[in-house]
Amino acid sequence: MKKRILSVLVGAVMCLGLCGCGGGESNSNVNGSVDNSGANSTNNNSSADGDSSTPDNNGGETDWDYIVNKGKLVVGITYNVPMNYQDDSGELIGFETEFTKAVCEKLGVEPDFQVIEWTKKEFELNAKTIDLVWNGLTVTDERKENMLFSKSYLKNKQATVVKAENADKYPTTAEMGSITIAVEGGSAGEDVIKNDEALKGCTKVSMEAQKDALLEVKTGQADACIIDFTMAKAATAEGTDFADLKVLENIQNTDEEYAIGARLGDTETIAKINAAIDELAAEGKLLEIAKKYNLDDALLIGA
Amino acid sequence: MSFWDVTRQLADGFGITLLIFGITLAASLPLGLIITFGSMSKIPPIKWITKVFVWIIRGTPLMLQIILIFYGPGLLNWDVKLPRLTAVLIAFVINYSCYFSEIYRGGIESISKGQYEAGQVLGMTKTQIFFKIVLFQVVKRIVPPMGNEIITLVKDTSLARVIAVAELVKAAENIISVKGIIWPLFYVGAFYLLFSALLTMLLNFAEKKMNYYSG
Amino acid sequence: MSFLEVKNIFKSFGKTEVLKGIDFSMEKGEVLAIIGSSGSGKTTLLRCMNFLETPDTGTISVNGNVLFNSDEPPYSDAEKREKRLHFGLVFQQFNLFPQYNVLKNVSLAPDLRQLKGKKFSKAEKKEIKKQIDDNSRRLLDTVGLSDKVNNFPCELSGGQQQRVAIARALALNPDILCFDEPTSALDPELTGEVLRVIRELKTSDRTMIVVTHEMNFARGVADKVIFMADGVIEEYGTPDEVFGAPKSEKTKSFLEKSLENP
Repeated sequence: MKKRILSVLVGAVMCLGLCGCGGGESNSNVNGSVDNSGANSTNNNSSADGDSSTPDNNGGETDWDYIVNKGKLVVGITYNVPMNYQDDSGELIGFETEFTKAVCEKLGVEPDFQVIEWTKKEFELNAKTIDLVWNGLTVTDERKENMLFSKSYLKNKQATVVKAENADKYPTTAEMGSITIAVEGGSAGEDVIKNDEALKGCTKVSMEAQKDALLEVKTGQADACIIDFTMAKAATAEGTDFADLKVLENIQNTDEEYAIGARLGDTETIAKINAAIDELAAEGKLLEIAKKYNLDDALLIGA
Repeated sequence: MSFWDVTRQLADGFGITLLIFGITLAASLPLGLIITFGSMSKIPPIKWITKVFVWIIRGTPLMLQIILIFYGPGLLNWDVKLPRLTAVLIAFVINYSCYFSEIYRGGIESISKGQYEAGQVLGMTKTQIFFKIVLFQVVKRIVPPMGNEIITLVKDTSLARVIAVAELVKAAENIISVKGIIWPLFYVGAFYLLFSALLTMLLNFAEKKMNYYSG
Repeated sequence: MSFLEVKNIFKSFGKTEVLKGIDFSMEKGEVLAIIGSSGSGKTTLLRCMNFLETPDTGTISVNGNVLFNSDEPPYSDAEKREKRLHFGLVFQQFNLFPQYNVLKNVSLAPDLRQLKGKKFSKAEKKEIKKQIDDNSRRLLDTVGLSDKVNNFPCELSGGQQQRVAIARALALNPDILCFDEPTSALDPELTGEVLRVIRELKTSDRTMIVVTHEMNFARGVADKVIFMADGVIEEYGTPDEVFGAPKSEKTKSFLEKSLENP
């Protein structure tokens, strides 16, 4: 058993390591691995399958006991507006930040926000360096193989972003069949390319983070990027360096939902969180937080 | 976001960068010498184990080593949790000790046999020969390659961000993510340049100091 | 019993037999020249006496003390250090310590021997150090380099460097001073100054063994000459005997060739 885990671990490390190296620092403009999405059916999540035996029951300790005994719930985040970000004084704010704090208050545990690299979120969960991924995490079938999801609380869609002057070139995805599209590796945006027949011929560039995908478009390295709608709207707002980019409202990518991701098997934790979400929804607290960040339209519960 | 605000945020990241740099250098310089002695050992098992270890560390990307050290224990269900920065420091110290050990070895092997024999026929002990005769000549010879490696270390510290340690580059990336402004990413270059200029001056000074003799 | 007695020395490197039974002796104050073509084993013989190589068999004794006997168990490093001090060695390539000035090159070994690991008061230390330095300066004076004490080896000519090396070897006052082709690495015009120093040492009754290609020097300075060929002593005698009336054919042909291309 140990041997199997070890071999899978080495394999997984190599796989992620390679992806990571591709996005490394050697050449900051062309970072990311370029591959043709038509032929691309590999997925670095698959390598984590072997690790799904993680929850160890040391002397009958349940997944929730483990968190309670630690006294804190380690939540993996990345900085992105409007979910989790620092205000000018350096304080962490955002929809997910406040949502997390509210849930933790109900559960009586201390939230510990841990910035992670998004491409390594499964690693972080399985290595127990974090307990939850709670950062505008889109629910996908593939992710369900590696994570346990809470109930969905927010509608999301993937947005296509191009340079403003090119906005008219792409009335539908059919016109995007042969262009270069940047996405965040392992993101829901990557799935859009995989699932849309019209995009089969495009060249996909997998980046380390959504902001890198935006940078690709701004610098002309990629023609378009597909990232989370909420992030896209906030990042291309007036006053940012990405204000010359435009979100293509006419291209509607599949609707998706945001939920919280936990380790497979952490059923008790997820049950407790779901109950807390329901309470917050009933109290109107969830709506209040959503309004603060202009997300009330997207709210799935408690609206 | 004002220039001052960005500078202040980047300075925090630069602090982490300096910390990684300083601790790595301070620990790797002596540890590298121990590894050198291992790889030059006359006892075959010690020699070969050391050599294989150095080969593995030098033959794999530092980025991979950081990931393995940080996530490995948890994925194997071991009861060890390394803090992120600690994992980075361990990976860097091991990696750089191995690189330094090879530079040391090259330096030691470049000293002619005649120097050892001259010490021997003058009745010196092995320790005296190493510390009184060989070491200084080795140091003089390895200053240039060590300087290269040290400058590389300055920039390698940016690899710490693979496990989300907020060093200088990561600090700039966070600003891009949150504020949507790009220029801080290039501004970090100034920090690195300034620091490596300072190091280059120190290294040149050391080189000059030892240039009172040639050979 | 002679001052130096070397008996039955055999030495192989792997399958190559370099010394095949060397026997000779010499008296105190004598100068012995060893000649022979390269590969004849003369340098290896010198290195055996200085414990840089360990003979496979044989004995070496100086002044009645057995320094090496192949029947005894291998010597420890500490034992070797004491034994080898009966000999001094001047290398073909000088092997000065480049980071130290001339004076320190000469005084380093006596410093380490007399001061390291021993308890002295500061005043005593200072006194010993002064004696060592004075002695080193005196030795540098005898090799004609009293004006170079503060220079570094890289600032000296090859001939000057070799003279420093001679002073360095004398600093520990060995019973027998060995020279391994001391002029071979020098430009022809610089060999004279080194040979002159060796000649002067002879007048002060130094016992010396000189491996050399300088036939005129061997003839003019040595008391005894050994001609080595293929790991054995082919001919032994006074310079007049060896150079004037060689008995062995090998000696004759070697001497003829040496006179053609000195």
